[in-house]
Amino acid sequence: MEDLLKPDYGVLVLTVCNFLLLVYLLKKFAWNRIIGGLEKREQQIADDKKQAQDARSAAETIKRELDEKLSQISDEAARRMAEAVKIGETQKEQIISAAREQSERLLEQAKAQIEAEKNKALCEVRDEIARTAVLAASKVVQQQMNETSAKSVVDRVLEEIKAK
Amino acid sequence: MDVAEIISHHILDHDWGVTLSGFRIPVTTHTVTLLAVSLVLLLGLHWISLGRQSRAGRLLTTLMEEYVLFIRDGIVLPNMGKEGKTFLPYFCTLFLFVLCSALAGLIPNMKTATANISVTAALALCSGGLILYCGLKFHGIIGFLKGFIPSGTPGWLVPLIFPLEVVSMIIKVCVLAIRLFANMLSGHMVLICLLLIIFVVGQMHIAAGAGALLPAMGLELFMTCLELLVAFLQAYVFTLLTSIFAGSVIHTH
Repeated sequence: MEDLLKPDYGVLVLTVCNFLLLVYLLKKFAWNRIIGGLEKREQQIADDKKQAQDARSAAETIKRELDEKLSQISDEAARRMAEAVKIGETQKEQIISAAREQSERLLEQAKAQIEAEKNKALCEVRDEIARTAVLAASKVVQQQMNETSAKSVVDRVLEEIKAK
Repeated sequence: MDVAEIISHHILDHDWGVTLSGFRIPVTTHTVTLLAVSLVLLLGLHWISLGRQSRAGRLLTTLMEEYVLFIRDGIVLPNMGKEGKTFLPYFCTLFLFVLCSALAGLIPNMKTATANISVTAALALCSGGLILYCGLKFHGIIGFLKGFIPSGTPGWLVPLIFPLEVVSMIIKVCVLAIRLFANMLSGHMVLICLLLIIFVVGQMHIAAGAGALLPAMGLELFMTCLELLVAFLQAYVFTLLTSIFAGSVIHTH
């Protein structure tokens, strides 16, 4: 059993040579390819990841810009809407005021016209009455009255008409 | 043949007695096993590295890439840093070599080469060489020697500490060999002892031998499974410790 711990230097040297040769050959014929392929794929994944991150950040930038523009457009629309409402209100007031003024003016005109027509009618009536009275007076005068009595009669008739 | 002789016969290396002009060529069961393992590894890994498009080829390529990632990210980079990437092929080979050498012992008519102190000493010698190479490559001879003196050591303690640290490093490397050897040897001894139970009990009485057959085989099966685990564990421990020692030399105090 003590042979178990007795080193065999031949085996030792052969194992060292065997192992180091195996390391060299495997490095040359296997590991370089496997590790190279692995690193290449890792690099590709890292590049893809970076590209995806760049694309994401670009998309986020575009989204931010669009949001900003949308916000600006919303503000502008709200501002213009408020402006339009204000203009509308002003115009409404102006139209209403103009309409009111016009209606008042028309009313005044109508009143004036009515007054004028009334006065005109009164004058005509007065003239007609006077003419009729004159006519009547002339007829009375023609019949028996003098000019003075005729005038007093006409004045009395006119007074009565005014009193009515 | 007594029990000790049987155990020795099954565990000890057997020289095939090959000589060349009177000079002994160390062709033994263990060296042949190692050569067979090396050949299988070389051919197998070369085939895998060619990146065959068959299903098995793709599967094995993926498996080997995962293995390389395990060695790189689990063992080499954490212990040696990015400087260790240069030595990745060495560690990848070391793990597989130790593992396959141990597993080869589970194949009938083959021996566990790592249950031989000369083989484990050779592997530890290679690891020691790697540690030395790392120290000299990254720090030069003076820097490497300075690395044996912990920072803050008083000047008068240096003559005492320096040899202690050197011996400590040598012992660490030796322990690598002894740990692997002892673990592999003990497992196989237990396996043989369990089998011998049947014959020892059978010598007392044939019926007792037959009765011991099933329990002994059950235990044998259990121990074989345990040996599988130990093979992986020891390959991992050997590789990990080598990387830790090399890392401690690269990244000194």
